[in-house]
Amino acid sequence: MTFLIKCFLFALTASFLPGQLKPESPLNKPQPTLYDSVVKIEVATQVPDYRTPWNSGRFSGGTGTGFIIGPNQILTNAHVVSDNRRLMVTRRGSSQKHLARVRHIAHDCDLALIELQDFRPFEGLPYLEIGGMPSLESRVSAIGYPVGGERLSVTQGVVSRIDFSSYSHSRADSHLVIQIDAAINPGNSGGPVVQDGKVVGVAFQGNTQADNVGYIIPTPVVKRFLTDVTDGKYDHYMDLGITPFPLFNPAMRRAYKLPANGQGVLVANVVPSGPADGILERGDVLLSIDDNAIDSAGNIRIAGEFVDMNEIVERKFAGDKVAFTLLRDGKEMKKELTLKEFPYSRLYAIQYEKIPRYTFFAGLVFQPLDLNLFATYKFDDRRLRQIFSDYVSKGIFNEMQDIVVLTRIESDQLTSPMKGFQGKVVSKVNGTAIKDLHQFHELLNAPNPPEYHVIEFNGASRPLVIPSAKVPAAQERIMTQVGITKPAHLD
Amino acid sequence: MKTLLIFTLTLQAAFAAPKDSLVRVNSTIQTYSPSQPWEKTPPRKRSGLGTLLPDNKILTTAAMAADAIYLELQSADSTKNIPAKVVAIDYEANLALLTPSGEPGFLKDLKVSQPAGPSKPGEVIKILQLEENGDSLATDGTIRSMDLISTFVEGRFFLGYKLKASLQTSGSSFTLPAFKGGKLAGIVTRYNSKDQICDVIAADIVNAFLKDAADGSYAGFPSLGVAASATEDPHFRGWLKLPEDGGGVYLTRVAPGGSADGAGLKKGDVIMSINGLDIDRRGYFKHPDYGTLFWPHLVQGGSATGGEVTVKILREGKSSDVKVTLKKAPAPLVPTYRYDEAPPFLIKGGLVFQELSRAYLQAYGKEWTTRAPLNLLDVLSNPEDYEEGRNRVVVLTRVVATEATIGYDRIRNQIVKTANGKPIADLPSLAAAFAEAPESGIHTIETDAEPFELFLDEKLSNQVDAQFLQRGLPSLKRLYETK
Repeated sequence: MTFLIKCFLFALTASFLPGQLKPESPLNKPQPTLYDSVVKIEVATQVPDYRTPWNSGRFSGGTGTGFIIGPNQILTNAHVVSDNRRLMVTRRGSSQKHLARVRHIAHDCDLALIELQDFRPFEGLPYLEIGGMPSLESRVSAIGYPVGGERLSVTQGVVSRIDFSSYSHSRADSHLVIQIDAAINPGNSGGPVVQDGKVVGVAFQGNTQADNVGYIIPTPVVKRFLTDVTDGKYDHYMDLGITPFPLFNPAMRRAYKLPANGQGVLVANVVPSGPADGILERGDVLLSIDDNAIDSAGNIRIAGEFVDMNEIVERKFAGDKVAFTLLRDGKEMKKELTLKEFPYSRLYAIQYEKIPRYTFFAGLVFQPLDLNLFATYKFDDRRLRQIFSDYVSKGIFNEMQDIVVLTRIESDQLTSPMKGFQGKVVSKVNGTAIKDLHQFHELLNAPNPPEYHVIEFNGASRPLVIPSAKVPAAQERIMTQVGITKPAHLD
Repeated sequence: MKTLLIFTLTLQAAFAAPKDSLVRVNSTIQTYSPSQPWEKTPPRKRSGLGTLLPDNKILTTAAMAADAIYLELQSADSTKNIPAKVVAIDYEANLALLTPSGEPGFLKDLKVSQPAGPSKPGEVIKILQLEENGDSLATDGTIRSMDLISTFVEGRFFLGYKLKASLQTSGSSFTLPAFKGGKLAGIVTRYNSKDQICDVIAADIVNAFLKDAADGSYAGFPSLGVAASATEDPHFRGWLKLPEDGGGVYLTRVAPGGSADGAGLKKGDVIMSINGLDIDRRGYFKHPDYGTLFWPHLVQGGSATGGEVTVKILREGKSSDVKVTLKKAPAPLVPTYRYDEAPPFLIKGGLVFQELSRAYLQAYGKEWTTRAPLNLLDVLSNPEDYEEGRNRVVVLTRVVATEATIGYDRIRNQIVKTANGKPIADLPSLAAAFAEAPESGIHTIETDAEPFELFLDEKLSNQVDAQFLQRGLPSLKRLYETK
């Protein structure tokens, strides 16, 4: 369980000077060094509250680190600048704060590129060069502005592991990670980790279960992000949209007409409407990906490294092609698919910079289900959990773009008999199957409502019934009482 | 304390000494392991009291006899024992009728009790306990109220008394007989020492059970075979066109094959009254003698299976009387309980197949309703989505690592749909599908989860199965006859 080192709220207040410093004369100003290109980022955030989606949310803030990699290009972590209202950048050895804004943000790999409103005060500072992969046991230095003081801090560590691991910012993604034996502390986030004057990673998370362990984002991930945004927008990591299943079992191999050579992995499921839909089929045996032979566990060997075949996809972008050799019904064939964005899978990732969507009707609050909502309400309804877990793999998104959940029932004479529906997923309104929040809202607010609105829920023994004549008065009464300013935010 | 004891003992002597009909019932109970159904769990002992009725029949609770591998009747002074067997048992009503397996032995020296007629709230009945020395302790209790109570099988409710009495907690188990005028008036199943309230199975239920069992074949209590919800919600009532004052319960499910289904009742019907007794919007009716009771008593307390009730329903605003011939509740897709019946299983090459039961899910511990696998919990919540073509839900519960199951080790709790192309309705049908090995020598099992199809080598799995038998597995399957 990795712990995300979030910037602490106003972490740095104590300031003291360790010893007297001579005032610097502008005449003998020293040459700027690599350290001068590491900047402190102060952020003011506004985090929405999914429990009261009509409210402004929580105002908060913190600090992090960033570094200059090009003309008005400061690289940092996505989590440092997520949900920000105001960004300010401070140079080393200066107290002047410069306003900045996010240019590109990648929540799935916890990286962001920010730019200053006015870069001129930073001109002349060296750009940090993105290097390669450090070797195991080699020394690296983490530079940043962690808690415990105002000034730049440098910690040394040794590269202790290079592994595929989870990125806790989105709670849904895993990429290559370098583990070092130097602690990454709050405020360090977004800072460069350097070796021989080149960046070998970006400090991003620590570990609550182990002391003196820090995790850094390695340069292949950083370079992929920088390449992805060259077209002006970030497209996310790509995914094949298949579930592989290892082909170890001899009977299974025979059933798929495979020799006992340890090669080939089974396509156990294809995500409907995903990039592989219509190209790969359940029951296909994948023999190679981009000419790399796939073993029966789904691993390949590239540049001497033994890795999951997904590593090929990790390095690609939307629109790139992936070529397969496969066996279908005993016949070998070649197939090619084009990687594309698949937004539905983001249901399982925490969303940032989003204003929560909801609709408020007659004292009832309905919200679309996503991980943010799930993290807010600990839903235990079995049907809801089943729909959530099958949403992508069984293609539920084709019928239901939004999983509309009744999250709250505000107290009122109209709502007091409505018991037992909270936390359930809406299936129909007045006989019409629900596709998304917008359509749901429209159905309830149609100009000529039936005498009773009938809302059916998945797995509920009876429908919820609302007398439509009583709705307008109740709507106004409850909104005033609860302090709801806007009846809906549908996006 | 001592004075009270003497007082109760003298008081009891004034009656026709029902203690003479008391026997101790000792049972050894053993159940099967939910995850390894070929094995039994360690045995437990339970003891309670029974009452001798005519024809050497002893009445006790089903809790005493369910899953018993050995039953014994013991004299009050614990000096004489005779083995016993079950004549009739109703797990839901929590009643069991025992008889000696051989000679009646010490029973010949006992007095035979007769069942008493029904009691009403306010009446005093006498609870008997046995001390270690064989003396009996009698405690008077007043029936505070009557209610439908669940005493053994979860979710099954029968008429009972809430009795206020101050019992001594000595007599271990609370299977204690209660008497009125020297006759058996009920069985105490539970005692809350804090509130001093006992749950007592009512004479009505005991007598119906005895009457049913008298002919040697026990049919069981009838049920309407429906699930119903209250209609308190005024908006819901308005939508259903129910009168503003008045009651009724809304049918949320009509079990296929049950009494209500047979009479044409449908989901969405509202039951307004049964046999002329109105049901209120929370599901209660006014019993002329017993006070306010929950509506199912009108079915199970009124007549036996084969009998008839008149149900007044409201469908789409129109009221009609429906005659319903009563049956026992149909067996649910996921059995609620399975006592005295070994759970069926089938092992093939290391794949372990079982039929989904509530007991299997409950084995996931206290928080089983959230901990147990989602796909299996869904069957329990929404059986109607799985009923088609199935008598039971067959689950590949686990995979024992063998040569035949290489690569399948992490698979568990997948619902089996077909085997060798044949739809699977229950475990016997799975066994039948496996019995015909396909020409390829490879069995195909289709399930509800990835990889959706598993393959098993016939020859290899037979070898593995033979090894299992050599390595201490008593059997590779336990099946049952299908109707």
